[in-house]
Amino acid sequence: MTEIAEGVVRPLIDNTAGRRPVGLLLVAIPVFLMIWLVIWPAINAIGRTVWRTGASGETSFDLSSYGFFFSDRYSLDNLAVTLWTTMVCAILLLVICLPIALYLRFSQGRLSAYVQALAIFPMFVPSIILAFAFIRVLGPNGMVDILLNAVDLPKIRTPYLTPWGPVIGLVWDNIPLTVLILLAGLGSVANQSVEAARDVGANALQVFWHIILPRISNSILVALSFSVLGIFSSFTLPYLLGPASPEMLGPFMQRTLREVQDPIGAMTQAVIAFGFCIAFGLFYVRSVARNQGK
Amino acid sequence: MTTLTRARARMDWPGVFFATLLTVAIVGPLLVVGTWAFTEVWRFPNVIPQQFGFRFWGQTLGRADVWNALMLSLRLTTVVTLLSAAICLPAAYAFARMSFPGRNLLFFSFLAGHAFPKFGLLVAIAAIFLQLNLIGTFWGVVLIQLVGTLMFMIWIPVAAFQAVDRRMEEAARDVGASPLRVFWSITLPQAGPTIAAAVLLSFVGTFYETEGAWLIGAPGIRTMPVLMISYINNQMVIQYGAVLSVLLWVPSFIALMFARRVIGGGAFARGFGG
Amino acid sequence: MSVLHIRQVTKTYSGGTKAVDSFSLDVADGELVCLLGPSGSGKSTLLRMVGGFEQPTGGQITIDGEDVTHLPPERRPTGMVFQSHALWSHMNVFKNLAFGLRLRRMPAAVIREKVEAVLELVGLSGYGERATGQLSGGQQQRVALARSLVLEPKILLLDEPFASLDQHLRERLREEVRDIQQRLGITTLFVTHGQDEALSMADRIVVMANGKTEQIDRPNVIYREPQTPFVAGFIGTMNLIEGAVSDGNFMRADFTLPLPVSDGPAILAVRPEAIDLTISETPEANVHRVTDYGTHGLVDLDLADGTRIKSMVAHPDMFQTGQGVQISPRAVTAYRDNRPIYRS
Repeated sequence: MTEIAEGVVRPLIDNTAGRRPVGLLLVAIPVFLMIWLVIWPAINAIGRTVWRTGASGETSFDLSSYGFFFSDRYSLDNLAVTLWTTMVCAILLLVICLPIALYLRFSQGRLSAYVQALAIFPMFVPSIILAFAFIRVLGPNGMVDILLNAVDLPKIRTPYLTPWGPVIGLVWDNIPLTVLILLAGLGSVANQSVEAARDVGANALQVFWHIILPRISNSILVALSFSVLGIFSSFTLPYLLGPASPEMLGPFMQRTLREVQDPIGAMTQAVIAFGFCIAFGLFYVRSVARNQGK
Repeated sequence: MTTLTRARARMDWPGVFFATLLTVAIVGPLLVVGTWAFTEVWRFPNVIPQQFGFRFWGQTLGRADVWNALMLSLRLTTVVTLLSAAICLPAAYAFARMSFPGRNLLFFSFLAGHAFPKFGLLVAIAAIFLQLNLIGTFWGVVLIQLVGTLMFMIWIPVAAFQAVDRRMEEAARDVGASPLRVFWSITLPQAGPTIAAAVLLSFVGTFYETEGAWLIGAPGIRTMPVLMISYINNQMVIQYGAVLSVLLWVPSFIALMFARRVIGGGAFARGFGG
Repeated sequence: MSVLHIRQVTKTYSGGTKAVDSFSLDVADGELVCLLGPSGSGKSTLLRMVGGFEQPTGGQITIDGEDVTHLPPERRPTGMVFQSHALWSHMNVFKNLAFGLRLRRMPAAVIREKVEAVLELVGLSGYGERATGQLSGGQQQRVALARSLVLEPKILLLDEPFASLDQHLRERLREEVRDIQQRLGITTLFVTHGQDEALSMADRIVVMANGKTEQIDRPNVIYREPQTPFVAGFIGTMNLIEGAVSDGNFMRADFTLPLPVSDGPAILAVRPEAIDLTISETPEANVHRVTDYGTHGLVDLDLADGTRIKSMVAHPDMFQTGQGVQISPRAVTAYRDNRPIYRS
């Protein structure tokens, strides 16, 4: 048995290959795709909506598309419903997923495994099937109406084609990842940390507030950021389940680009979406980078 | 994990509560769709269909637009997944094992895709594709779906490669294997299952990708998800949608079974930043 | 000033395995009792049941006459020091110590006073502002101890608190904890698998195996008068020789020893330091290896059937591999049916 010297840490990255550019060659194509199709479009969208080419061909600094957006009643309504939907979804996700994650963290057994499987399940249901199921259950003459009718209760006012439609669908769709992210964060709370708190006299609520919450605050923010980034500009569920007017930014952008055929307008809306999400985006990137660096 | 609740092997009431709630909310709707797929006649207000049958399966599968969409989706998804694996896996190995200038910066740049609101980014890309005449073309959709797989196919394989015990590789070198042989016989088999799961998830995710396909592909390229959207919007016969839903969902279920191990591991959630 | 009574406590897991089997113990006021045993002996499970982190399947636990068997940990007058110190990493040392006091709504001035007093008690005055991650392993365990002591619990519970520390630190902390415990007169239950720890710290030791008690006694009694072969073999080095008694003689291979007990099987327990060896032409055993430790030597002997016997000698250079020797134990204990039947 060879003796390993004390304190020698085997590096994860094999530095003996030197800083040869072989690695660069291997990563070149994905990096190029990333730059061309993610970074460049974002910059391009900002650029083309801010420096406009006039009819005579000269380019000038021109914020008129933004001016239009913020003075147009219709656009502002859409923005408002988007903000409202995102906020309501975020709150509902937290209210639903945090208790589930806490339950899963502190219990074991078959029932707990079943609950976990169910919570992860929506990840494997494509959004369109979800939309279809939603309409069949909560839509007019859907399953809920059928069941209510069977017990002689009045039919519900269907959330289909109201702003609540996308909310229900988006929450359903985002439960798995939110639960997973929260569970991963809860994993870093040691059992003995919680036991020590109970030992000094904290009840369940106090343990949650003083011990667990501070430790998972980062996870909660990451889960929120991820959901917000997905929900703010989502398309499929709002398009299928939401009202035609006001519509969320996702369907609005799609219509502006493909039906109204106004690329500048659509890009303006996209940049505005970037702006509203930038805090979440930056936070998310910083969090993941720090996490991976550990 | 130790049980910290005060319960003395009594009823796990929170568990029962969550299980019931989730079963109704999550399994319930899908059961309804499943029932519709095997229904011939179901008129309100019956609680269950008046008549069961397979008639609509024949009808749905007999439609030309369904087959075209299915074939197209499969071709598209296969091309995207193969391309993605081909360009991302070597890159993942490089990120995991090699040191080169800019490694950290480039690695974290793959997060950029998730830092923007997704559809907003798609619209910005579509604006560029407009100028490049890529709208409504096969390769336009390939490109957009390829970008969607990048983060997945880089971060998870990187974690897989890094998780291979270096001592196993060193032991192989010790008995005389060349570096290439070590990679083939030790590293790849060890990292293989996780990478296979990532590829599978990538395939399934791409198959169901809706937003990019709709935005870039319409009207020329209609994938299965896009077809379903038109069915829902045009309020076609309900059973068509139900049959398609069941059909569409089968690959997802298979992926679920195979990818369970990857989902369960903490690496997956950490890949999303948890 | 508290008395702990544990009455026939049992812990059965689904599937039937008994982690703790009908355990009883009375801990007197101010006593430090060690639960000693190998992994799986049930000692940690028992401690956790006293602390309230596991529920007994049967039995009763009372503290000062109050039945606490089914009370949750936050309502029990016990304080636990965990193996992993379990300090809250998002709080500094002061806040870790003050947390329990804040829960009891004590005024800030009183909290400050108590925290400073307990920090001084464990030798960490002035460390209040430090982050827990900045402390060394030993300091972290001291803070963990302080966290329990500051609440003045009736019973102090320690779950192998030094297991993750190195040898020297362990010995030093051992003495400090014992000093503090005696100074405060706090009734303490201490779990360990290290017999050195138990022998040096405890007022009494409970040797446990497979969830059951093997022996409860003072340390020197445990060492000198082990009541079962298990205890005999667990504490210190011990030769356990299985053999048979016939006509007043214990026999194993060529080794015989007069033993005034009835015929039948028996296990002979003899400490290495209690064996005299004489070189002989008619050997009972042969020398397998001699190891010189400077102050003494250890001679490994082989009986004819391969049984290994260890013997401690003052002059190891007198012996060589292969030599034949006669074995003369000065003090033995013989066991039959898990009970001592003879002790010399």
